[in-house]
Amino acid sequence: MIEFTFWDIVRNLLLAARWTVLLSLAAFVGGGVVGMVVLFFRIAKNKWSRRLASGYIALFQGTPLLMQLFLMFFGLPMLGLRIEPWTAAVLGLTFFASAYLAEIWRSGVDALPRGQWDAGASLGLHYLQELRLIILPQAFSITRAPTVGFLVQLIKSTALTSIIGFEELVRTSNAINNATFEPFKVYGLVALIFFIMCFPLTQYARTLERRAAAH
Amino acid sequence: MTIRITLKSSIAAVLMLGTAGLGFTTQAANADALADITKAGTINVGVFADFPPFSSASADMSLKGYDMDVAQYIADTLKVKLNPVAVTGQNRIPYLNDHRVDLLMSVGYSKEREQVIDFAAAYAPYYIAVIGPAALAVKGKEDLADKSIAVNRGTLEDTSLTEAAPASADIKRFDNYNSVIQAFISGQTQLMVVGNDVGAQVLAKQDVLKPEQKFQLLTSPSHIGLNKNEDSLKKAVNDAIAKMLADGKLDASSQAWLKTPLNPDNLKD
Amino acid sequence: MAFAWLPGAASDIARGAVTTILLIAVTTLAGTFLSILGAAGRRNGPVLLKRAIAWYVEVIRNTPFLVQLFFIFFGLPSLGIRLDPVLAAILAMTLNMAAYTIEIVGAGLDAVPGGQTEAALALGLRSRQVFIKIVLPQALKVIFPALTSQIVIMMLESAVVSQIAVRELTYEADMLQARTFRSFETYLVVTMVYLALSMALRRLLVTGGRRVLGAGVS
Repeated sequence: MIEFTFWDIVRNLLLAARWTVLLSLAAFVGGGVVGMVVLFFRIAKNKWSRRLASGYIALFQGTPLLMQLFLMFFGLPMLGLRIEPWTAAVLGLTFFASAYLAEIWRSGVDALPRGQWDAGASLGLHYLQELRLIILPQAFSITRAPTVGFLVQLIKSTALTSIIGFEELVRTSNAINNATFEPFKVYGLVALIFFIMCFPLTQYARTLERRAAAH
Repeated sequence: MTIRITLKSSIAAVLMLGTAGLGFTTQAANADALADITKAGTINVGVFADFPPFSSASADMSLKGYDMDVAQYIADTLKVKLNPVAVTGQNRIPYLNDHRVDLLMSVGYSKEREQVIDFAAAYAPYYIAVIGPAALAVKGKEDLADKSIAVNRGTLEDTSLTEAAPASADIKRFDNYNSVIQAFISGQTQLMVVGNDVGAQVLAKQDVLKPEQKFQLLTSPSHIGLNKNEDSLKKAVNDAIAKMLADGKLDASSQAWLKTPLNPDNLKD
Repeated sequence: MAFAWLPGAASDIARGAVTTILLIAVTTLAGTFLSILGAAGRRNGPVLLKRAIAWYVEVIRNTPFLVQLFFIFFGLPSLGIRLDPVLAAILAMTLNMAAYTIEIVGAGLDAVPGGQTEAALALGLRSRQVFIKIVLPQALKVIFPALTSQIVIMMLESAVVSQIAVRELTYEADMLQARTFRSFETYLVVTMVYLALSMALRRLLVTGGRRVLGAGVS
């Protein structure tokens, strides 16, 4: 018979939490990069490019993340790609995050007064220079609070990757549960670990929000 | 569900017992799964992560159990490294078909599965049992009426329960063994249907519920699953199992994990 | 890709979709009601209640819905609280949604000018009447778009309750793929059903909101 002490449970959960952190970071960075591309399409002058980006965002915001992960996990092998739970999890969360981040940043771009574009144009900048030097820095700066808020959302979303078999915090807790039969304790600890990861970020997002409101 | 003795599994059994005394035969050297395994030096074997006593997490989170013993033995025989891959009832057949794993442990024979995978030797006895608290009277299939029953979705337990239970039975299907067992222990369902050895692990720890085995739904030994048309790999696996049976290793694992000596008769479909 | 299984599966998918719709309908009603109570309690309640509500909001917002669901379904029975999968799902969904909508409703209440309450009180209305008849409808009008988004998000998150054996849309998809071994096609079809549901839900809420709360709802 396999036995776990309380310390074994905590230690194994913390070890598994490393994967949760790593996955969140990878998806946030990946989502940021892809999200930038989507943002370019979304605010481009070309109508079709904007429509394409809107469709992309609507698709990811209109379907469950769990389904997106399943499609990634079961779909890519059909294209001949051998995909591990880790790859499926990172890719799935990256696309998910890109749609949300692009939408958040677009709201920042939209919030800027028209005059900012005109000012850039009058300085003789081209479109890309205008974006890089004037529009995007301001758009990022005013959307910092929702961006951090979304990071919290993303960290919590990593829990779903347990369902496609990625060995993060929740999946490890399921395995431990089956040896200890103490779901109250084990899931309580899992909730606590997530809380410790997310709470400071939530508070930070709130501070940013208040600061933005005070301006 | 009737127990079906198919040509294929009888051949497997005969082959297994037949080669038991012969030991090793040379293996075909075609470019196939077996060649790939030897070349990579690693064999990927799909096992459940929450399936005591066949395979479950130990305190350092590595998997241990009867299935792990057999998988390790096969890897040793092929002189390659064992890479256990944790699978669920939902994803393991796709895993095999996508070649993410080379073998699957604990696959019971079914007609549906035979459409998509091949079965190597039976290596473990497996009884699918209905388990419930002592206080609840359940004697046969009819008594399953109006009861809530937890089962692992997409497994042989699911198929056989679905076939056996009256329409009024409330079958609750979960994604993994962990949830099935948790649902039963926490009283979310009145009964659960799992392998009796899986059940035994649970029964030992529950003083309040006093669960007991009510009746057996089906006896169906566990096979090793592999992709179709992998004859050389199938032969290598069958040989390894036969050798394990012959040298008493399989019996030792049975004593260690299933707490009972191995009876070769229980390895027949 | 192969979709030969689809005609035979249509009724299963439809049944799952109906359960998903029922779950979100009940959650919307219960969650909105709970968040109105919560927001009111947070503004005018005793200190202890305010603190309890603040903690509830933080705990829910900083932990995954899946863990909350497992805790309620598998964990609570050890305290003697045993809920049917459907009830456990509705409870988890309601508690989760309300943690977000309490803040939304609160912001809406803040947006109603205080002078209106004073004027209504001066006309002799009791403070509860003022809240229900004057402040709340205006607040709901302000927050309606945010509330709609939150309801759609909750509908999409409800896919997870398949994990505790609630027979909703994702559960039916899992059952189908276990039978057909056509994982990708099954999930593709069901994903499209979810997309249609979320678009329909959004439209329904916006139209319904406009009718009940009057013009200006977008």
